[in-house]
Amino acid sequence: MSTPLRQVKRYINETLSSAFDELSKPDGRPAITLKRSSRNASLFINPTSRALESSGTDTYITYSWPGANTFEAWKFSIHIDSLTLPRVHILILITIAVVFRVLAVVADAIGTGVVVSKSDPACFGTQRIVDTIVDDLAYTIGVDRSALNVEAAAKGLVAGYCSLLTKSGETMDVQLPAKDCLVPSSQDDRELNISDASWVLIIEKEVQPLPYDLITETHLVHRPSTADSQEVIIILERPQEKGFSSLSDKALRFYGLVDNDPDGMAIMSIYKYGSMAHTNQNGRLNIPCLWWLGLRTSDVVSGAPSNDDRALNRLTVRDRTKIVTMLSNNPVWAAEGPELEWRAELQQMLMLNLKAEIEILYDWDGGLEGWIDQKMAGFSLPED
Amino acid sequence: MAGKALKDVKSLNTCPGCGQIKRAHVLCPHCVETHPTDIFSLAVTNKQILSASGVSALKVHSTADPDFPLVQSIDEAHKLGCHHVVTDGNGSRSVSVGFGGEIRVWSCHDGNWSENKTVSAGNAGSTGVWAIALSGDGQYLAGVSQDGHIRVWDLDANGEQIRYYETKGSFGTCIDLSADGRFIASGHENGSVYIFSTETGRMPFSLSGLVKPVRAVAFSPGGKFLAAAGDSNVIVLYDTSSGEQVANLPGHSAWVLSLSWSHTGEYLLSGSFDGKVKVWSIDTRTCVATHSETERAVWNVKWLPKIGKSEGFATAGASRSISFYREATGG
Repeated sequence: MSTPLRQVKRYINETLSSAFDELSKPDGRPAITLKRSSRNASLFINPTSRALESSGTDTYITYSWPGANTFEAWKFSIHIDSLTLPRVHILILITIAVVFRVLAVVADAIGTGVVVSKSDPACFGTQRIVDTIVDDLAYTIGVDRSALNVEAAAKGLVAGYCSLLTKSGETMDVQLPAKDCLVPSSQDDRELNISDASWVLIIEKEVQPLPYDLITETHLVHRPSTADSQEVIIILERPQEKGFSSLSDKALRFYGLVDNDPDGMAIMSIYKYGSMAHTNQNGRLNIPCLWWLGLRTSDVVSGAPSNDDRALNRLTVRDRTKIVTMLSNNPVWAAEGPELEWRAELQQMLMLNLKAEIEILYDWDGGLEGWIDQKMAGFSLPED
Repeated sequence: MAGKALKDVKSLNTCPGCGQIKRAHVLCPHCVETHPTDIFSLAVTNKQILSASGVSALKVHSTADPDFPLVQSIDEAHKLGCHHVVTDGNGSRSVSVGFGGEIRVWSCHDGNWSENKTVSAGNAGSTGVWAIALSGDGQYLAGVSQDGHIRVWDLDANGEQIRYYETKGSFGTCIDLSADGRFIASGHENGSVYIFSTETGRMPFSLSGLVKPVRAVAFSPGGKFLAAAGDSNVIVLYDTSSGEQVANLPGHSAWVLSLSWSHTGEYLLSGSFDGKVKVWSIDTRTCVATHSETERAVWNVKWLPKIGKSEGFATAGASRSISFYREATGG
């Protein structure tokens, strides 16, 4: 049994048994204390690793129920509506319930070896609360989040000049057209071998179904003339993804193609600098040499066939709020930060109140493939 | 100037700062870093031009000197960058709006700007205001919000809101006040153009609007015309006494982002997303000059105050520099 797994099991056993001990006492107070890397700490870009890091200290959060009769309190959690407790107490109550629910699900997942999706509503409740608790839990135990067997939903696809080493030691070739595989997650025994590739293209796609034609009909069979050599890897990635340990090889060239909206820009920032939620891991997950292929507002406005209004969508209130939050909170987008072009792009979105998705490139002359070729050629020029 | 276009200025001169050769009408790229990101807005006074960009500082350049030196950098004005800056008629007050939504009021003393803490924009910052306009005397600030409504605040009365005009709720991209302060015009993302009377609080007539988003509205100096333009690439002139469209000025092949009238109302200046800047004769309703300094978006164009007989204008945008154009006076 691997060490992280043992750590998780021990932690869960200890926590749950002490909670049950408390429950069995007449005046017991079940409590659980989680460690959290401070969110309000000042974030900065580490000049050496080029990763987003935090200078903050840890905080400890104790969830406990101060009621005299704990069993009653637990029962109440099922009938929240009938409660006349102050709102803050109800929230504490719900949160405790969620913490224990998360623990229970993790215990189950560890026991059976099944990986649970944290967005599975059958297992978990509110996504955001659960997300935080899972992160805190992993941080408290001192393991990677993946050791809890709780993962973001599907991990994205990889295709191209790479091979997959499976559990049994087999090598699975995924470079043939029409062949792709799920990106192995970090607790998988499988590994992705990309040592033969010369560059990696990361494409954001959250739509269902995934645009398979993008792989099979264009890039895998097509070999862009502008690349140093003839290999192609395309990774179709999901926005929840927090980083990518198996691809942090700094010698490779990485390109990112994301939607022209705040979510796309945020994904790119997470790949290049790491996420604000996991500053302690960013140093080994970030990809400092990630080049931004697009999509840019100016690409869309000048490239779209005239009168094609479908290419552009208006920002929602949520989009605008998200952009302002990004500009305010994350040093990646700061005026003194490392990515003034990205900052300007977000501001242009606000100015024009517009966004666009990668899919629009399908309809352009040369299609998505031609567009990517052209953009990569721009990066191949010396000293750009 | 009739019949004579504003000509491209191609002459070179020596930068007084670093001694290198530069084109006469642009700030020296070697020693004057105008702004490291897009310049979104320009405002002019008799002697200065204020520029707002994606960084936190507002920059002030002198227009009285032929080399347009930087005279002040108002640092930390807007942490998230600034998208609109406006000035009053005599150059003593300025108002800017940042991407974070905050509104700041500035005062000018002896050519030096500082934040005016005694004058407040009241609750203006909490209304989602996007585009703003300042009355000639600097007392009234008009703004159109992201939810399309128009408000006027009295800056000399603690920013009290004194007018509120409701529209159909489409994002308000631009706003202008007529020189006499009697009318407010706003342009919206759904193509609507509205005129309100500040006296009655009513719309004297409804305008036909454009079919695509409107990005700029501007009253002529005498108040006779309202010009509006945007994503339909065409500039429309309305007669403000009837609300009728009296002219279409086609010619841009990209979105028109900014408009500015010359002081006599003879000429209209326009800047577009593909970097083109055009000068239109209102008499002949034709384009008399096209400047193609850049291929990047021109976010803002502004006529400069007339100095002697010489008239000129400034443009700025995604090229991140301010370009100055002067009328060729030798003709």
